[in-house]
Amino acid sequence: MSTRSRLQGLCLRHVSSKRRHAATSHQQRRLLNQFISKAPLQDDTPDTQPPFPPFTLAVKDNIATQSLPTTCASSFLNAYHSPFEATIVTQLRSRGACLVGKTNLDEFGMGSHSTHSAFGAVSQTLPNEGGEEYSAGGSSGGSAVAVAAGEADVALGTDTGGSVRLPAAYTGVVGFKPSYGMLSRHGVVPYANSLDTVGLLARGVKEIRELVVGGGLWLEHDPRDPTSLSEAARARCASVRKGYAGVDGGKPEEVLRGLKFGIPLEYNVEELDPRIRDAWAAAAAALQKLGARIVPVSLPTTRHALSAYYIIAPAEASSNLAKYDGVRYGSRASDTDAGSSDAADGGVLYAASRGRSFGSEVQRRILLGAYTLSSEAMDNYFIKAQKIRRLVRRDFDRAFALANPLQGEPEPFDLSDLSEDILMENKLGPVGVDFLLCPTAPTLAPKLEDVVGAEGQSPVNAYVNDVFTVPASLAGLPAVSIPVRVAAEGGHKDVANTAGLQLIGQYWDDARLLAAAGAVMEVLGGSSR
Amino acid sequence: MARIPTVELTRYLLARQMSHHGCLRVGRASLPSRAAIGQTRRFTSPIQSSTPASPAATPSPPVPLRKQLKDQARALKASGYKKKKKTDNQTVPGWELTVGIEIHAQLNTARKLFSPAATSFDDRPNSHVALFDLAVPGSQPIFQPETLIPAVRAALALECDIQRVSRFDRKHYFHWDQPAGYQITQFYEPFAKDGHIKLYARDGIAAEDGEEVTVGIKQVQMEQDTAKTVAMAGETHRIDFNRVGVPLIEIITLPEMHHPATAAAFVRKVQMLLSSVDACTSGLEEGGLRADVNVSVRRTDDASDTLGTRTEIKNLSSFKAVEDAIIAERDRQIAVLEAGGAVQGETRGWSVGSIETRRLRGKEGEVDYRYMPDPDLGPVVIGEQLIEHLAKSMGTLPDGEVDLLINTFGLTAKDALALKSLDDGIRVEYFYNVVRHLEGHYRRVDVPEELRHKHSSLAANWCLHELGKLVKASNELGWTENGECVIPSASLAEILYQLQEKKITAKVAKELLWMSFRQEIPGGHVVAVIDTMGLWFKELSENEYAELADEAAEDEDKVLSEFLRFKDGKSKAYPQGKLMFLVGKMMRAGPEEQMDPGSAERVMRKRIDKVYVPSLQSKGAS
Repeated sequence: MSTRSRLQGLCLRHVSSKRRHAATSHQQRRLLNQFISKAPLQDDTPDTQPPFPPFTLAVKDNIATQSLPTTCASSFLNAYHSPFEATIVTQLRSRGACLVGKTNLDEFGMGSHSTHSAFGAVSQTLPNEGGEEYSAGGSSGGSAVAVAAGEADVALGTDTGGSVRLPAAYTGVVGFKPSYGMLSRHGVVPYANSLDTVGLLARGVKEIRELVVGGGLWLEHDPRDPTSLSEAARARCASVRKGYAGVDGGKPEEVLRGLKFGIPLEYNVEELDPRIRDAWAAAAAALQKLGARIVPVSLPTTRHALSAYYIIAPAEASSNLAKYDGVRYGSRASDTDAGSSDAADGGVLYAASRGRSFGSEVQRRILLGAYTLSSEAMDNYFIKAQKIRRLVRRDFDRAFALANPLQGEPEPFDLSDLSEDILMENKLGPVGVDFLLCPTAPTLAPKLEDVVGAEGQSPVNAYVNDVFTVPASLAGLPAVSIPVRVAAEGGHKDVANTAGLQLIGQYWDDARLLAAAGAVMEVLGGSSR
Repeated sequence: MARIPTVELTRYLLARQMSHHGCLRVGRASLPSRAAIGQTRRFTSPIQSSTPASPAATPSPPVPLRKQLKDQARALKASGYKKKKKTDNQTVPGWELTVGIEIHAQLNTARKLFSPAATSFDDRPNSHVALFDLAVPGSQPIFQPETLIPAVRAALALECDIQRVSRFDRKHYFHWDQPAGYQITQFYEPFAKDGHIKLYARDGIAAEDGEEVTVGIKQVQMEQDTAKTVAMAGETHRIDFNRVGVPLIEIITLPEMHHPATAAAFVRKVQMLLSSVDACTSGLEEGGLRADVNVSVRRTDDASDTLGTRTEIKNLSSFKAVEDAIIAERDRQIAVLEAGGAVQGETRGWSVGSIETRRLRGKEGEVDYRYMPDPDLGPVVIGEQLIEHLAKSMGTLPDGEVDLLINTFGLTAKDALALKSLDDGIRVEYFYNVVRHLEGHYRRVDVPEELRHKHSSLAANWCLHELGKLVKASNELGWTENGECVIPSASLAEILYQLQEKKITAKVAKELLWMSFRQEIPGGHVVAVIDTMGLWFKELSENEYAELADEAAEDEDKVLSEFLRFKDGKSKAYPQGKLMFLVGKMMRAGPEEQMDPGSAERVMRKRIDKVYVPSLQSKGAS
């Protein structure tokens, strides 16, 4: 306990009285294992440059920092100190961030409940449920809990298939995944490079918007990240976008009036918790009331997106994790490894170390990836998954009013491909929308005991949690999860009665997306925007 | 995935690990081949030879290559093996050999392929390593566009179509010399395709291939080199990451070669082409180039279109090894097939001086490389302008230059090729410098062809043979980029000028060359040295020659009578041999440094005609 109060003392002078109240109200929570390491007091005097107000920052432990270890929640890196700092951490420190600690996660970002960690599972408890532990979501569960508990104003996460948005939804905070290529990944230990993005979590949209748009993060190209958009490409993309000029918005009604929100029909799945379905419908109705247009849209490839994701991401993971061999990272499993001298017996140097030091979920994905990349499976899995990925992006491009600046001319398409429920705006087709509005996850935060251990969820069940978040990841689009209240079950009003609503925008429409998300959150009764 | 003994992995993966004591590859690690050489003396079965004792476990003092070869020759003889004559080993009646080759060449660039770390050779170990080179978590590859310059030049020299868009892929396998667990290469979309090179008879192709043969290049791809492993005493291996990530190109031919000598000529020619366009750091024998060959055989009466099952022989480190390994593998495959067996698709190894290839790993032991497009790296787009610019600035390709040396300078094809292929093309630059200085001495604007041929033949002879006698290895001559060596071209030209003008003897000229090599000619002033040391050729007078001739002819009536027989028409041919015998006697009797063999011959002939034969005639008459 003293650690936490010390920690809060650290940046208290920067924290507004309103926030201090929010922070202390959460102090009844148990230790939820959300941090892997914490910054000592004297550390981290923020390199404050006016006009940036100081704020506390928690960093997911797969993002490199120099002052604290970077473990990725893996035994391989349990004592690993990065020789350099991730670009995003440097960028935030120069904008007033004060690093409070490194947060727990699923090993290397692989998981949906932050339970696959070498440092133990992250959990969240609900005070009035007798200490029952709930999933914090994953893989950025530690970051989400740190923000929800008031221990950090902003937390960095990584979002590969929903790893920022899902924990945000489960813990009742805001989680933002930017357009792929906007925020530098230099210093982010990769899980699946083509999908990985750095995401931000905060209690409101405002903090995120002030950093990404107001603070100019969106503008900064990083020459050390080959997937960071060049300055020319940023300028080109921004020239066909609005909202980057500043963060001063009007009233929510003004922001929302005339906006077209698409409701993807394919997202109304059978497994969707009826309370979430109701909250989704209520949100749509509320927006309509304020002058926004609600338009049904079709994203027909959605049903294949999850399968494609769980081929592409493990394939890249199996490649990225090949470097962890027990020689340079982690410890050698000398008991069973034959070592190089026994080569005649077919001894191998790395296998035992990798078998011992990787967690079960990481091993599962490495094996899955190694298989889908093998010469006999490649064509049937990896290549097909990449084709599906293109179709997913094409679905989005058809739904949005704005064109995707990374693509050429929009492809013509056959209207007969669309669902019959889609209304035609005119003879050319349905109306293009500004944003898509859908749930972040099909269920509320499950109880921890239901997702860990042998009796817990099967891997496939866990993967289904990503069904609504994966499509935007495959297409590289910006998406934000905001908390909404759902009808309380049994009269409780707590975190388990909070779900996430997701807004997805066209590529590089992050500024407008964040402005709209703030307005929607305010309208739906969220605390801040 | 199959488990491969680490020693085997070592042998085929540690590309430049073969030991080359003596003249080959100074400064490279020497782990596997010491064992390999030990093992070739034994002629064990393939299974045994594929798993030798740990090579580093029994460190032995390095054995000079010459001794190794001698020992092997002795062992071969003892085993009753008879060496086939080179002329009849190119074909086996009833069988057709097919060979395809993969060549890896280190590109001549300042930076690594995906990091700004410098490329280096023999620098302090681990002194040029960026975070990405070590695959530090969170580091990313940054493609260095200037590596394209030598790569595109090489592809142009190989007559390839440069692809506008190419991409990088990851090739996965575990080895300590590769920190990421994968190598970045171009598997699916290489940057150059569909090239060819022409090999001529003068390139040393097999006689069966006639005057010229064209070998198709399937593709050329860019990729990363691996780290260098240095074997220490015992089981310690040290790893130098300076080499990791250094850019390579891999050149893959179509299976279009059918004779071992042609395959060796191909590798030699690729090396020459790459060095002539300045694409490659060094040659095969210095480790800048590596060759793997794919070998298959089929019966000549096989009507089907399919080739036989092929085997791959990895890491051949000299032109001779290419030819010898192909011959050995061809003969092994034919023997297997003639015995009713089937050739297994497998990877085999070869060590210097061996007579058979050895099995490294079979098909079931093949690694599945799980090629995957690198998700961090965008496509490489090569603009038409760059290709045009590089094509224009490339200079004359070796074949053009060899033609020039033969036609304009009047050299033999052999000398022309030798000049062009030595010292990465620096030797021929030196030759041009020598010829230029030599012609300067004659102060003529347009040199007549005959004189130029005379100058250049002399210069070529000295640039190749006399220079070669000074040192064991060519790199001891201290070649520089601008075509100079420890012996300034101007000094050599001065020596040759004095020699050509008969101001000094050949013996003195050679002595001066040595002095120049030992830096004993102050300021390169050859003439001053000749002056001070009194080395000018002070030829004997006509009378002094005549006296020596008389001395030599004394008591040689029997010999002289041959000249009389010729004069009388009793023998048809002039007795030149007898003349030279007398000249030799003359030279031995006189002060050699003051005599010119030509003058001695002229005087002796004159004396025979004018004095000795008439005197014999008069004796006979009297």
